[in-house]
Amino acid sequence: MNNNINGILNEALNKLQAAQLADIENIKVEYLGKKGKITEILKSLSSLSIEEKKEIGSQVNLAKTQLTEAMEAKKKEITNKLLEEKMKNEKIDISTAFSFNFPKGHYHIISKAIEEMSDIFISLGFNVTGGREIETDWYNFEALNIPKDHPARDTQDTFYLENSENLLRTQTSAAQIHIMEESKPPIKVIVPGRVYRNEATDASHSAIFHQIEGLVVGEDITFAQLKGTLQLFINRLFNQELPIRFRPSHFQFTEPSAEVDMKCVFCGGKGCRVCKGSGWIEVLGCGMVHPNVFRAVKYDPEKYTGYAFGLGVERFAMLKYGIDDMRVLYENDLRVLRQF
Amino acid sequence: MKISYNWLKELVDFDMEPQDLCKMLTFLGVETTVVGGGTNWSGVITAKVLDRQKHPNSDHLSICKVNDGTKDYQIVCGAPNVAAGQTVPLALIGAVLPGNFTIKASKIRGVSSEGMICSKEELGLEESSDGIMVLDEKTPLGKKLEDVLEKQDTILEIEITTNRGDCLSHWGVAREIAAKLQKIVTLPPLKTAKYAEKNLVEVKDKDLCTRYIGCHITGVKIAPSPKWMKDKLESCGVKSINNVVDITNYVMLELGQPLHAFDATTLSGGKVVVRRANDGEKLATLDGKTHELDKNNLVIADGSKALAIAGVIGGQSSSITDATTEVFLEAAVFNPGSVRKTARKLNISTDASYRYERGTSWEVAEMASWRALNLITELAGGRLETREDYNSPDNEKVVINLRVERVEKLLGYAVDEKTIANILRFLGIEISSKVQNVLIAEVPSYRNDIKEEVDLIEEIARVNGYENIPMDIDSGISSTEQKGSNKLIKQITNSLVGLGFCEAMNYSFAEIKDLDKLYLKYTYKIANPISKENEVLRPSLLPSLMKNFDFNIGQATTDIKLFEVGKIFDDKGERRVLGILMSGPVWQPWWNWESSKQNPVFDFYFASGIISNILPSKEFTIAENRTPAKYYHPGKTAAIVYHGKVVGQFGVLRPDVAENTNDEVIYAEIETENIEKNYKNKINAYEHVAKFPAVKRDISVVADKTIKFEKIEKIIKHVMKDGGILKDWSLFSVYESEKLGAGKISYSFRLTYRHNDKTLNDTEVNKDIAILLEKWNKDLGISLRN
Repeated sequence: MNNNINGILNEALNKLQAAQLADIENIKVEYLGKKGKITEILKSLSSLSIEEKKEIGSQVNLAKTQLTEAMEAKKKEITNKLLEEKMKNEKIDISTAFSFNFPKGHYHIISKAIEEMSDIFISLGFNVTGGREIETDWYNFEALNIPKDHPARDTQDTFYLENSENLLRTQTSAAQIHIMEESKPPIKVIVPGRVYRNEATDASHSAIFHQIEGLVVGEDITFAQLKGTLQLFINRLFNQELPIRFRPSHFQFTEPSAEVDMKCVFCGGKGCRVCKGSGWIEVLGCGMVHPNVFRAVKYDPEKYTGYAFGLGVERFAMLKYGIDDMRVLYENDLRVLRQF
Repeated sequence: MKISYNWLKELVDFDMEPQDLCKMLTFLGVETTVVGGGTNWSGVITAKVLDRQKHPNSDHLSICKVNDGTKDYQIVCGAPNVAAGQTVPLALIGAVLPGNFTIKASKIRGVSSEGMICSKEELGLEESSDGIMVLDEKTPLGKKLEDVLEKQDTILEIEITTNRGDCLSHWGVAREIAAKLQKIVTLPPLKTAKYAEKNLVEVKDKDLCTRYIGCHITGVKIAPSPKWMKDKLESCGVKSINNVVDITNYVMLELGQPLHAFDATTLSGGKVVVRRANDGEKLATLDGKTHELDKNNLVIADGSKALAIAGVIGGQSSSITDATTEVFLEAAVFNPGSVRKTARKLNISTDASYRYERGTSWEVAEMASWRALNLITELAGGRLETREDYNSPDNEKVVINLRVERVEKLLGYAVDEKTIANILRFLGIEISSKVQNVLIAEVPSYRNDIKEEVDLIEEIARVNGYENIPMDIDSGISSTEQKGSNKLIKQITNSLVGLGFCEAMNYSFAEIKDLDKLYLKYTYKIANPISKENEVLRPSLLPSLMKNFDFNIGQATTDIKLFEVGKIFDDKGERRVLGILMSGPVWQPWWNWESSKQNPVFDFYFASGIISNILPSKEFTIAENRTPAKYYHPGKTAAIVYHGKVVGQFGVLRPDVAENTNDEVIYAEIETENIEKNYKNKINAYEHVAKFPAVKRDISVVADKTIKFEKIEKIIKHVMKDGGILKDWSLFSVYESEKLGAGKISYSFRLTYRHNDKTLNDTEVNKDIAILLEKWNKDLGISLRN
């Protein structure tokens, strides 16, 4: 009987070996069906003792399980093979794939630069605020310690509005006054914004450009902190230790004042075309808030000190991307916009 | 201003090459560069021309044999004046001439040349030369050229900041050098002279003139200036005229005080009057023009007429001529603002007005007056006859209290008292006394920029060197609130960029003709535009975006998707808006495009999809545009509404404003500032999603075209609201055809039904559809399409 069971099982397994997908169902009927060969063995057990019944019964069940598993494995093997073949035939030419470009959007270089810089200042504890572009003489000049008929006005040719006393701000510093009028120290804020100069546009001049103004006011604000903050900013912006140096300069609304040069990022200070051989690039102006500015906003210059800085966004963006003509920035040629 | 390096050396004893001096001055705050003169070459030696032969292949070139005392060189030379026997400067191979010009071995028309014989021009010694430089024949050979030449002067150019008018002289620059190097400036000695008291000067407008020293000098002989003076003036770019005029210029360059010399014999009434001009008073000035003056202009006049415009320019009638024998010499201090106003109004800028605008010193005026008198006496034989000095009683030295600890408070590092006192003293600021930690500083009047304590602290900081200030960081947090946070705009523009839009950035100006084309009106006009492009402030972002559109179409770019965030200026004032412009293909053709072979282009509906995508919440809806901008196609525009308020509009531009394309151009302008003000960042509570399957049904209905879709939509929404099983709907087809009947339109909806607690069967769904259809039919006469 044992031999019989094993013989039937082997027979079935042999058949399975050569089977196609459709044959598997037939084999199942032939051996495991109601009248199947293995099923028949169980039927023939009635004449045997209980002991024998038990033993042969378990052998038959084992054979059943073995055959079922073998059939499942075979099925899987065949379907996998078919799937592989199917996929092989479906192979496409991927080399055409990038010929279809899903339209890609881009932010303008200037707003990217403003965001990048603002993020650094935010990480240093600055708030970001906006400002007006139409200003009065008071906010743009007088309150910033630039009286009428002062030669400092020569450097900032101003657009005036018709039939009004108002003008277009020539510097984001105008926002300093609003901020201080509207709040109390401590103040630590940047104002990115657009400024206007009444001059002809060429490769390096534009009647409109963007500045980021910084203002920090408190009871213990020092020039040393101004130096440290700007050095940290430059390092983070260019992602390297890039030395900066401070040169004495003059702005009516800061005292002392400084202009800041950074080591040329292009040549590492050896001298190149961009830094005109000097190894340094002038990047921003800054200084300690002039007491007259505090007086203009009714802050006590004895109690408070502060620093302020202003940097030109276009200049940084042009340096960073190697743009040699400012006008490119405002043409909005999609072939250019889509580059950055 | 041009400064002579040699002249500086006469005033202060320092040992520094010009380049190093420039760097030092620049880091003191006086930007200085070398602009001319000096030794700007290397590798140039003295040599003798032994022989000159004509070049076989050229008419104007010659081949010279040149000897440096030990060795012969063959040099091809193009100068007509080269001749055997001359001693010349020879640039050898490897020599570097001004302009970084390196001499290399070369062949010139087939003949090799081992260097170059130089002209003065090539050496940077003069502006242009006719031929080579010929040296004295006794010059030793084989020496470095710079060693045998008389020490060349180097010309520096200084650029001052507006507060440092005191540096506009050699003395001023020498003072800076002396302060940094802790040296003493030595000025030529001043000799006072005896004179007869006489009323010479009458200052009528004392607010505009705070000092006026007049000297009447007789016995003057006008002649050319001596060479040393001519050379110095020339170094500084000042043309020599005659001894007296040159002296006034020389003293100005030396001490910084503008002076003016009048021919005293032309003065009627025997004295000068400093007064405001009469309205309409005319004066012919030295620039050859006649200016009409008014009471805002200060003039120097005699008893009857104006002679000069104070601090700006002299008049022709009283100018020094070759026949002048008597001079009236003026040294004065005028109000800076007044001089500036006058100079700007008359459009004149002179060396004098440039200095007066920046402020001059009542102390230096006196020094300069004596200095010029000494020189006139010495060089023109003049003799001081009479002199009058008007000196305002307000002319006093500024006294400032400097608290030592305040230096540290502002700069962030301590400077000891001794260092402070030393720096100030070498700047000419006297410490008259000391009370505890307070230094009492007396500021000389030429430093009119130093007005209060903080100005002294700046002096200390810059002379001590900004590089010595340490780096620190403050840990402060602002008390100001984060105003105008751009987060909402950022969210919207991020979506736009994700959808393939590019950000444009334009000028805030517009041209009126461009506005006219778009039926736009301006509110703000620029009073002083430099060109038409800057005529007015833009009342919308459309004019500039339209320009960008035309520009890009011109560059054969047809898929235009642009946006800009910027200020517009109209009768509601200045505010930031978002403008979006789209036209042309939505994307490029794609070979597996299934539903049609055509590439879709932007139209109103596609644009609506974009707009609804970018808006930050479902609370933004679309409504009839009751006040559409005039540039829109009146039938294809909609308003964007947020909580009952219109916050923007969009639509297809009129074909006549978008002439450069056959495609529709869609423009949206959204009042982001308005949205930001009112936007409530509502947090949506979690809604359970039903676990039972949804049933989807598509139905098409036919309606009268006159029925607004929003009425049809309202009924669906009403049915949904009742808490029924209709959970969602979408419109997927809008169709018009004659087959539907005249004036009819068909809409196809996809309806989604779902029950929260069980699986729906057909009967239940059909019953609900019937309810919807019945309501549509009853209210609007809509029926199911066959």
